[in-house]
Amino acid sequence: MFAYVIRRVVGSVPTLFALTVITFFMMRVAPGGPFSGSRRITKDALANIERAYHLDEPLWLQFARYIWGLLHFDFGPSMTYRDYTVSELIRAGFPTSLEVGLWAMLLASVTGIALGIAGALRRNHPIDYIAGAVAMTGLAIPIFVIGPVLQLTFGHGHGLGWLPLTDWPGDLPHKIMPVVTLALPNIAYVSRLMRGSMIETIRANYVRTARAKGIGEWRTIARHAFKGAILPVVAYLGPATAITITGSIVVEQIFQIPGIGRHFVTAATNRDYPLMLGVTLFYGAIVIFANLLTDIVRGLIDPKVSYE
Amino acid sequence: MAFSCRRPLQAASLAIGLGLFGVLSAGPAAADSVLNRGIGATIGTLDPQVNFLATEGFILDDIYEGLIDYDANGQIVPGAAEKWDISDDGLTYTFHLRDGLKWSSGEPLVAQDFVNGIVRTLDPATASDKAYIFVTTVAVAGAGDFNGGTNKDPASVGVTAPDAKTLVIKLAKPAPYALLLMSSFYAPPLHKPSLDKFGKDFIKPENIVSNGAYKMVENVPQSHVTLVRNPNYWDAGSVKIDKIVYKVTEDDNTAVKLWRAGDLDITIDIPSDQIDKLKAEFGDQVHVSPSTETVYESFNLKKPPFDNPKLREALSLAVDRDALINKVVKGGYSVNCGYTIPIADYDAPKVPDCAMAKADRIAKAKQLFADAGFGPDKPLSLAIESTNSDSPKKIAETIAVMWKQTLGIDAKVHAQDRDGWLAAFSAGTWDVFNDDLVGDFAGPESYLSYMDPRAESGYNWPSPEFEAAMDKAVATSDKAARYKLLAEAEKVLLDSYLTAPIAAGPNRHLVRSTVKGWGDNPPDWHSSRLLSIAPQ
Repeated sequence: MFAYVIRRVVGSVPTLFALTVITFFMMRVAPGGPFSGSRRITKDALANIERAYHLDEPLWLQFARYIWGLLHFDFGPSMTYRDYTVSELIRAGFPTSLEVGLWAMLLASVTGIALGIAGALRRNHPIDYIAGAVAMTGLAIPIFVIGPVLQLTFGHGHGLGWLPLTDWPGDLPHKIMPVVTLALPNIAYVSRLMRGSMIETIRANYVRTARAKGIGEWRTIARHAFKGAILPVVAYLGPATAITITGSIVVEQIFQIPGIGRHFVTAATNRDYPLMLGVTLFYGAIVIFANLLTDIVRGLIDPKVSYE
Repeated sequence: MAFSCRRPLQAASLAIGLGLFGVLSAGPAAADSVLNRGIGATIGTLDPQVNFLATEGFILDDIYEGLIDYDANGQIVPGAAEKWDISDDGLTYTFHLRDGLKWSSGEPLVAQDFVNGIVRTLDPATASDKAYIFVTTVAVAGAGDFNGGTNKDPASVGVTAPDAKTLVIKLAKPAPYALLLMSSFYAPPLHKPSLDKFGKDFIKPENIVSNGAYKMVENVPQSHVTLVRNPNYWDAGSVKIDKIVYKVTEDDNTAVKLWRAGDLDITIDIPSDQIDKLKAEFGDQVHVSPSTETVYESFNLKKPPFDNPKLREALSLAVDRDALINKVVKGGYSVNCGYTIPIADYDAPKVPDCAMAKADRIAKAKQLFADAGFGPDKPLSLAIESTNSDSPKKIAETIAVMWKQTLGIDAKVHAQDRDGWLAAFSAGTWDVFNDDLVGDFAGPESYLSYMDPRAESGYNWPSPEFEAAMDKAVATSDKAARYKLLAEAEKVLLDSYLTAPIAAGPNRHLVRSTVKGWGDNPPDWHSSRLLSIAPQ
């Protein structure tokens, strides 16, 4: 197992390098630059800024400079948020995105799995229909609609007025609406996945054997069927968690959460090259890590998978 | 993710339960008055010599004071300088600082601190966006050479402090509006000891030393900036609000919700589609007024057939500005038939298009279009370059439809983000540019100097007539006479139809009725020290 992990980690280096190369050069294809926004600026003043950020150098040298920085874990300065380095921005925003994302994934997996099992065990029963309806709603309505609707329904000064609209970091009530918004589409997906997988599993021979032993319905499901049925859900949860914990620009803007999700979009429109590269590489590393973790967990719960 | 099924479920249901029923309502201590201001997008930089964005300017205006200040109507009032003299040739400005000025640390504030501020703005190593202000807008003697790196001696810049209370600024050419640019936004002082000690971090809350009515005590990236009274401010007695919290509000719709909920007192903007509804509900708490942004369509003179003035005039005439702005775009934009925005005491010339009856206007447009050689058998197709922001895109798309309906032009809109849009302008391959310009200050010079062919703004518009009128204006210190000359220059510009003027942009804010002292003004200056909160 240890050798396997080492192999995977080493194998991810070329992936990350390719990601760096592609992102670095693709961004430069976009018209304009990070400091082209002012129309009155004189040539001298613009040249001073570009020199300060090494944008006057040939592209290959800028790339070499960036790689050299990466080797020292230096993502460079942000060109939009000029008081901060990219590392500082990621350090400041990631814990928040992580917190919101983990709560959302926890809520999504628990609710989704519960709904999925309920639907599978009571097929074509009202419970199944309700679970299906919840799932379809979560999938069909985009989060930029769900978020504002939740705010208008539960937010202070609106509708029921139960929950604060934003104001991160706050205590638990502040987290409810963003976490629910972020979790809903995942609840939907997980519950559909779990339902399908569970229906298949409870028909499997080993589950019939368990039933035949007479250990009771609940134990059959919890001990035997669950373990088999959860596998596709685990495979989904790995990458989904990676996406969720790196933040969502929609949820972050609507609920004013100071995470890193917004950087993916704003860095691109601002032509903030180092920030764009930084968050992309960071995201790439998280996805690689999440996939590795998923495979390890699968190895632990699926007797068919072995890494030795 | 192999977890036992029960515990997280319990935890989650507990979480939901607590959330729904355990709603908190803790507020700040009642003794301090707090003003919550929405700031819009995340802060770029709070470096007073580098920042060039209006939103950060709000914060910097509270924590730094320039030589002059603006009152609630945007008019000049004494700031750190209590009075000033301007030499007869308009080239030397002498500012006399107030007695007993102090930094927030208690150290004395001297004229050299203002010299250091301007010199640092110009220093190539600072890489400041607004260095150009002292090179072109107000051409300080020696500033261009110092900023361009040809003269590395800071003493070569024409800003000196003969004594602790006197600051002398020498200009290379007259700039009668120069005082407008001596505010905190352009000419804040520099506390050099903290810059020397902390480098770029001298503006972090734990290090900052400033001279404004407030001082910064907290800066949480992407969240908020907190300011409290600066007891060492010379006029601290007149400052009424104890604490200012600037909150990042990236989503304007959320900002409106926060304002409704009482979490914000002032918003940075109002989504254009909500203005009417909010006005019906909140009346005069909805502030919509003209800004310093002028919106116009530019024609590419380097690209035939747009070098034909008849065609340009026809295109301008074919735009129904009233329908475009008041029925389609709305959002606080107002029809503007001149290049400059409406400015007090400035009698701006207008293109005749707006005053004409609709039928006459269209008939003349069709006539000129035919004169320029176009018609059903020789159709014209063109592209309008636009940003993809909501209102500008709406303007471009509606104009395209109007040109199609009136003149049968096949007009396409090419919308992209702001950087791409500006890059397209520099590339010079565009036909029509859905253009705008935000004035550095509310004076006609800010707009007309940009269109001066010598400014090389990229319009390729040779006009000795315009240059001559501008030269005369800049040498005239009497404001009324100068404005008359500037109006002549603007008339030359409008007659050429280099641009088709369209509209003036809006400033849009929700301001709670308990906030007193707020005044709408085009440059959108709203120092917190001018505001107070009325008890409810």
